Amino acid sequence: MTFFAKFCIPFIIGTVFLFAVVLIKYLTWLRDLPKSDLKLIIRGIPTPRTLAAVWEVVCESLLHRRIFRVNPMLGYMHMSLAFGWFLLIAVGWIETVAYLGLRWVPLQGHVFFKYFVPLNGITEHKPLFDFAMDALLLFVLSGVGLAWFKRMRSRALGMKRTTKHILFDRIALSALWCIFPVRLLAESITAAIYGGGSFLTGGIGSGLASIMSVNTLTLLYEPIWWLYSIALGTFFVAMPFSRYMHIFTEIPLIFLRHYRLKPEDKEKSYDNFEVEACSRCGICIDPCQLQLQLGINDVQSVYFLRDRRYNMLQQKIANNCLMCGRCEQTCPVGINLNTLRLNSRTSMRNIPNEGRYNYLRGLDRSQGEGQVGYFAGCMTLLTPNTMTSMQRIFEAAHEKVWWADKEGGVCCGRPLRLTGETDSAQKMVDYNKALFAKHNITTLVTSCPICLRVLRDEYNLEGIEVLHHSEYILRLMRQGRLRVRYSSELSFTYHDPCELGRGSGIYDEPRAVIEAIGQLLEPEHNRKNAFCCGSSVANTAINDAQQLTIAQHVAAELDSTGAETVVTACPQCKKAIVRGSKRQVMDLSEIVAQNLR
Amino acid sequence: MINFGFSISKPRTIDIDRNNLHKSNEIMHEMPELQTCIGCGTCTATCTAGNLTEFNFRKVHTLVRRGEYQGAYVEMNKCMLCGKCRLLCPRGINTRGVVMLIKRKLGDF
Repeated sequence: MTFFAKFCIPFIIGTVFLFAVVLIKYLTWLRDLPKSDLKLIIRGIPTPRTLAAVWEVVCESLLHRRIFRVNPMLGYMHMSLAFGWFLLIAVGWIETVAYLGLRWVPLQGHVFFKYFVPLNGITEHKPLFDFAMDALLLFVLSGVGLAWFKRMRSRALGMKRTTKHILFDRIALSALWCIFPVRLLAESITAAIYGGGSFLTGGIGSGLASIMSVNTLTLLYEPIWWLYSIALGTFFVAMPFSRYMHIFTEIPLIFLRHYRLKPEDKEKSYDNFEVEACSRCGICIDPCQLQLQLGINDVQSVYFLRDRRYNMLQQKIANNCLMCGRCEQTCPVGINLNTLRLNSRTSMRNIPNEGRYNYLRGLDRSQGEGQVGYFAGCMTLLTPNTMTSMQRIFEAAHEKVWWADKEGGVCCGRPLRLTGETDSAQKMVDYNKALFAKHNITTLVTSCPICLRVLRDEYNLEGIEVLHHSEYILRLMRQGRLRVRYSSELSFTYHDPCELGRGSGIYDEPRAVIEAIGQLLEPEHNRKNAFCCGSSVANTAINDAQQLTIAQHVAAELDSTGAETVVTACPQCKKAIVRGSKRQVMDLSEIVAQNLR
Repeated sequence: MINFGFSISKPRTIDIDRNNLHKSNEIMHEMPELQTCIGCGTCTATCTAGNLTEFNFRKVHTLVRRGEYQGAYVEMNKCMLCGKCRLLCPRGINTRGVVMLIKRKLGDF
């Protein structure tokens, strides 16, 4: 028996093309991986991480659990398309085996089984498989139906805004949407002529048979199978160049991620896996405050990744991002959106310059002596109340402190890193590291979360514990070295700074400190979903008015809790919120210093 | 001469008719808010780099706007982009954006 008909040609061409392109892409990316990454992969394969990766592939690439968390309907839509199609292929394969026994059947024989088998009519009919295949087809079609519905009313599926697709994606999308309805028609017409099919294709088939003559049906028979094959072929050809590359790419990405590969400051081959694993679902658009509060709708992570993938990224797009991490939090593929944006900026702006910042050499403006160092950071120097409060706290705890930059010091380097000048920022890192080492401190306290991030992630300060002042104050309180008054009449609300919350995972410490002083009222968006104040140093594109608009939105939500005082733990956030809030805005250290006992 | 601990810039004239304002116009076009600068010097007063060196942000961007590009890129490279000036600017000018823009227009990228 030959499993070939002329109509299979578009499908065969599409499939061969698809697998060739995907294979070439993956092999090139793997070949270009740095040696250290390859080592990680080789070491990781024989460990339980591989099993964990397989499990995640099932949960995410097939079942789409993370999208279910965004919205159940949206999750169902993605699951029915992915898991449904997968089952159609898997059960279809079992069906061929059931009919023909274990023997080699070419791919088109599996895919167009319904075409080949009724013609040959070899074995007895197996209605159970007809039923299963019909049920699965219905499952997938319900997903396609939801996808159509989502085009009209995305809100019903939990998305206020959806991605604006480029032409190429639209072609692939149209082909994808055609595949399953055309398959339904093809199988129904086949059932109408030759019998077979279950409740769906069989039902539609007998309906068609009752209204059309056999001649008409025979006339439609070949063209409809041609159409099905063309739809598949078109989709497969478009797939590796469109958003649908994510279908395959998410799988190697999950494995690589389990082997501890991650994007870094500079672009590298691994990034390709992350960039092409983006499905452009657009879930990152709604949480973006630039969209939500400013109506900017061409800079979100989905557009950034798309532009980067097709090599048409512009600086103004790359720079227009608060890097607050709200999108990263919801990305169902778990792409490191901030790091990718950062290394794109680095590619655009990093110019190694040996002579730059030579003026830092030999500089030391630090004061005092002690095991504990305090690094105020540039922004804290602009909120002197924070610094004097910290001084009172240190005095109350009888802590001897070395002040790194009380009279002005050198920036921590994070703002420069965030704009992409990574190599130059390293000079400040090196300078500050040497300064900390020179003064033999064992603990470094900072009241600026922006500094905290870089001090923890990039400085590699061996033997020095880096603490945010919220952690440090709580520790002093727990050790009994710092005692505060509690008053139930004091009410506070707390704004989670991006760099402290999503960036460093510090949510509970500042809350514990506040609750030791008074009542804490939570705003609507808090912890992982907290808003950004809008003044983020990561964004060099928006103007002052736009920053103010964001700050006013955030402040309004904080004010609406009814709390007397808005508390935050970041000097930058404090500066921003104070512009929009009608309440008093204070740093965590200020309320502690005011309520010392 | 008595050292007062500060110095005064020497008087000089800038002939805008003779300077090539092409780059300057481009910069002003991309960052129109720079036209609202009142030259108060708050940016320079708070500047982290200015605290450690002779770097004077107000001076550099004022000269660049008038077509005096000599040395601007090198000077701007002293900036640490810490962003204090942006927080304090009474006109809310995106000063960090200005630094990056001047470097992009007058530098080698």
